[in-house]
Amino acid sequence: MTMCVGDQPMTESLFSLYGMPVRYVTTSPFLAAPVDELLRHFRRDSLDESTPLVLCFHAVQTRADIPWTLSLSARRLASGTGAAIGDRRETNLPYQVFEDGGRLIADFCDVGILVIDSTQGRADGYLIKPRTMHESLIEYLFHLALIELMRRRGLYTIHATALEKNGRGVLIPGNSGRGKTTSFISLLRSGYRYLSDDHPLLRDAGTHVDLLPFPIKINVTEDTVAFFPELREAPDHLLHPGFPKRAFYAEKLYPTSIGDCCRPALVLFPHVIDAPHSRLEPLSKPRALELLLPQALLVYDADVARREFQVLAKVVQQVDCYRLHFGRDILDLPKLITPLLEEVT
Amino acid sequence: MSDTHHALSPQSTVSELVDRLMPQQTILRQNRDVQGTTMDGETVLLDLSTGRYYTLNRVGSVIWEHCTGHHTISDIHAILCDRFDVAPERALDDLVTLVTQLTQEGLLQQERR
Repeated sequence: MTMCVGDQPMTESLFSLYGMPVRYVTTSPFLAAPVDELLRHFRRDSLDESTPLVLCFHAVQTRADIPWTLSLSARRLASGTGAAIGDRRETNLPYQVFEDGGRLIADFCDVGILVIDSTQGRADGYLIKPRTMHESLIEYLFHLALIELMRRRGLYTIHATALEKNGRGVLIPGNSGRGKTTSFISLLRSGYRYLSDDHPLLRDAGTHVDLLPFPIKINVTEDTVAFFPELREAPDHLLHPGFPKRAFYAEKLYPTSIGDCCRPALVLFPHVIDAPHSRLEPLSKPRALELLLPQALLVYDADVARREFQVLAKVVQQVDCYRLHFGRDILDLPKLITPLLEEVT
Repeated sequence: MSDTHHALSPQSTVSELVDRLMPQQTILRQNRDVQGTTMDGETVLLDLSTGRYYTLNRVGSVIWEHCTGHHTISDIHAILCDRFDVAPERALDDLVTLVTQLTQEGLLQQERR
């Protein structure tokens, strides 16, 4: 939907994520398209719910145009490069995160800033010259803001790939280079249903935790492509060119569909070994929680972090956890994993 | 940001710590900013003020469980001796070592009775 505010056209998109309404407003077409792409499975023509999360992204020309300055009482929470808020690891943007008057400010220097007011359910992004930005960067910044707002309302994300088979969820957390996406595709091509390449959602359902789909494009390195014949042979319109990763939609390359909300049953922590065969090593629940925490939890709000910690602990309690020593028998991984799902009750 | 600390690592100045802690008069209380969960006898703690997390082994978990503001170090020492097959001196050494570590990390508060 396009409307006008003053002399500036404004684009509005509506989404609903598992009953959580989201309204996205932007004054720039360059800021609209990446978000519509990210949340394409959640688009709505209207929202019934009265209090949506509101994300408003503004295009500015220079840093000086950003109508926001830190107050003297702002408190710096974190700084560095990489993950600022949320769990995305693939960017190396320098960042600083501040708490200022109850708002979270994520400052990405020459790229722009996010002003996130979780209590009000609103985030404003001020992006400098978005016309020159890669779409994936805009998508990333929007996603960061959305993650923080959703946390406050009880939807949590985790840095993991996720699949579903017969109503049972498999989570494969881990940082890049540990075989996460390769193991995920090996299961996907054998008939597992797709939940998310990198950002499934978790929701506390009282007696258990639900694993919810967050289907996005699947990003693969050339090394991963080389393992799978259908990816090696895929034309560019299915496996989109890109650097350092190429991308495809699961349903366009595999006989899969988007999985349903399910209960997680297995968590696999992969790492690549130089051996002919993969093997599984059972993990104790405390070890599994230790490994899971850095894939999910960044503490900026104590109350939210407390609830998220409890959700992660509940996940670990309800699943079987294994370290996957991922060998060269990549295409045979389903033979190792599927029997575990059949054993789980 | 994350740290994993395992309870009961050896310390060379334990007797000094015991003297300083005054076990019969010192009550231990978990910091309210710490969230914890116990699984399979081990406890994973998250310090909500720093984002750091820690893991306590079985003995450490029993110690943590009793840091409720109602027990002195001596009380907890007696509980450890009752529950584990351990020499009293060793149990006290391990206890004060862990209490010192947890206090330094800001996870535990000490109050004098």
